[in-house]
Amino acid sequence: MTHALSEDDIYRTSTQYRLWSFSPESLSALRKKTHDLALERAQRYTGNDEPVEFLTQEEELRLVQRYCGQIRTTSDHFKWPVNVKATAVQYLTRFYLTNSTLTYPPKEIYKTVLFLACKTEATHMTLSEYARRISTEAEVVLAPEYKVMQALRFTLDVRQPFRGLKGALMELLNLAEGMVGGEELQAQMLDVPPPPQGTKTQWKHPGAGKVGAEQLHDRIQAAYSAARNLLDAPALLTDVYLLYTPSQILLAALHLADEPLTSFYLSTKLPTSSLTWPKILATVSACADMLASFSPPQVLTKDERNALEGKLERCRDPSTRDLVQAFAAMRQDGSGEEGEGVRKRRKLEREKSQKEGEDLFGPSLQRPKANGAGG
Amino acid sequence: MSRLAQPKPIPLPKRSGGGDAQDVCESCVDRIFSHGPSQCPIPGCRKTLRKHRFREQTFEDIQVEREVDIRKRVAAVFNRREDDFESLRDYNDYLNEVEDITFNLINNIDLEDTQKKFDKYQAAHEEEIMENASLAEKERMQFAAGQKAEREQAKQRRDAARREEAEEKREVLEGKKDVLNRLASGQDAESVAQEGQKVQLKKRMDRAAAAERQRQLQQQTASAPSGARNGSSNLVIKGLKAKTKKTAEPEAPIDPFGGLSFEGRKYYSLQDDYVWVGVQETKTDALIGAGGYDVSSFTSRALCEAFAGLGVFVGEEMEGRERREEDGNKVVTKGAELVAQGREKKVKIEDPF
Repeated sequence: MTHALSEDDIYRTSTQYRLWSFSPESLSALRKKTHDLALERAQRYTGNDEPVEFLTQEEELRLVQRYCGQIRTTSDHFKWPVNVKATAVQYLTRFYLTNSTLTYPPKEIYKTVLFLACKTEATHMTLSEYARRISTEAEVVLAPEYKVMQALRFTLDVRQPFRGLKGALMELLNLAEGMVGGEELQAQMLDVPPPPQGTKTQWKHPGAGKVGAEQLHDRIQAAYSAARNLLDAPALLTDVYLLYTPSQILLAALHLADEPLTSFYLSTKLPTSSLTWPKILATVSACADMLASFSPPQVLTKDERNALEGKLERCRDPSTRDLVQAFAAMRQDGSGEEGEGVRKRRKLEREKSQKEGEDLFGPSLQRPKANGAGG
Repeated sequence: MSRLAQPKPIPLPKRSGGGDAQDVCESCVDRIFSHGPSQCPIPGCRKTLRKHRFREQTFEDIQVEREVDIRKRVAAVFNRREDDFESLRDYNDYLNEVEDITFNLINNIDLEDTQKKFDKYQAAHEEEIMENASLAEKERMQFAAGQKAEREQAKQRRDAARREEAEEKREVLEGKKDVLNRLASGQDAESVAQEGQKVQLKKRMDRAAAAERQRQLQQQTASAPSGARNGSSNLVIKGLKAKTKKTAEPEAPIDPFGGLSFEGRKYYSLQDDYVWVGVQETKTDALIGAGGYDVSSFTSRALCEAFAGLGVFVGEEMEGRERREEDGNKVVTKGAELVAQGREKKVKIEDPF
């Protein structure tokens, strides 16, 4: 009675699919809702004395994007694995789906998110070591951690396209050796037309004559490294992770890198007559368009960021201004006052049961409470 | 000198053709035959005898001794088994014939003919005789081994019983000593006596348990397979089928995924080897392989990830889920709403660590 899961079914079991995948409409609706809620809240704390200029939804998005870039450069600076970078960026993006920058400025969140990603991606270091490296206080890193975890809905798994891309590379190389589909496919692969002008790959058609096995090998490697670069910057700084699956993302990156080769590769996977074939092609090319539409200058420059943050400073929620202190107070609360209350209640209960225990026939029977611990 | 005072008589050796046996005393044998073969000392008998063929007599009656000798000799040759015959009737006929020959040899009837028949049979069936003899020997060994095992078991049982008895004695002594010690150290006499009674009661229970154990052991021996019983009784029951012990069904291996398999691949099939340098280097790296890492766990995972979700159209599939999604969002945005109402202080997230 074993039920065989296909790769797609396996992906559907992930929290990334269940909680963090959206249609473009629902994604923008969710962001709008979050922004509107934040504005509504802002009305309360600003009062009506003077008109304050709030960040627009667009500005919020760009600020978050800028901090995604910040995470990338930080992670690259310390030479952490690419997984840490991707996971941290996704955490930050997911966090700001349901939280506004007005409530929690990304400047305070991104360090925590990066530390959390280091933990989940097994790049271990102690908190003090981490704080020393990014030159900040340990409390600053820890303070928003529960908020972040809550906003992430306690799901820490981020499915990434990097290992999958290696898988595709592996299989392409075996195809080139004629180990997958035999000599026939190998011959077809040698006949794949060269990539058109303007694609990302560094590989150039040797010009005269047919492509040999050696050149094919180079072509695949070049396509891989181009795709790898695409997965690094544009894939992390756009919404592709929320709108597409890692498999589609990596194929889109390959598609941008070497379009004819990728089309050939996909055609070996599915019969072109299959029903999902056009849909898959459309999805991959839509994803590729999204990746291609990204250009580095879109990201805020340092000055722009400073300007935006100055604006944010004037309109931010004052109740979350000092997260560190709130965090410390919460800890104090948890261990002090409440503990005492619990102790007092327990003592009362103990005394009561002792008194009843001294009765000749023991304490009276009690109906279980209707609303017991459920509340 | 009376006959009783003489050294033990030695019967004359068996002679071919079932000749007479006579007892001669040991010193006479030494005297007459010490210089090699010599004529029989009995008057009227002219046979030549040799010293090494004399032996000690088992039976008082020299005639019985002779008959046993002859029967042994015949049985060694006519050693066919019942399995060799088609029916019981055939076997009985054969036994009858053998008995005729034996009788003739013992009583010296038609001695010449019978002896000839005997020799002929022996010459004709030499091989079969050998075979049956070795079979019989094997059976004898098995029987002996069975007996030995049974003796060993009995010895173990006896030892266990002895040990138990010694233990019991030691406990009784200890109990007494304990009671005395307590009394000596000035404890309440009544409570000490009560305690002593309790201990005694416990001892008695222990004894009852021991008796029960003994009984069970004996039962076990009684119900042991018939092969073991053959050892003690002299009756070897043939044709009993050995009971085959039914072994319990081995437990099925645990399936950690509860019946789900990950073999339903749609987009790729795993290959034995990959030419990519990354895979090849890992495969040949002793440092990695030493820990038991198999590079195929990487290749299968990488390929699975390469295609996991290729046919999942997030946009479409999410629309169908929109309503549920909104319910979920309520939970998440609740925190934000609470903040909006300025009640954030009341929302306590306890430190789970």
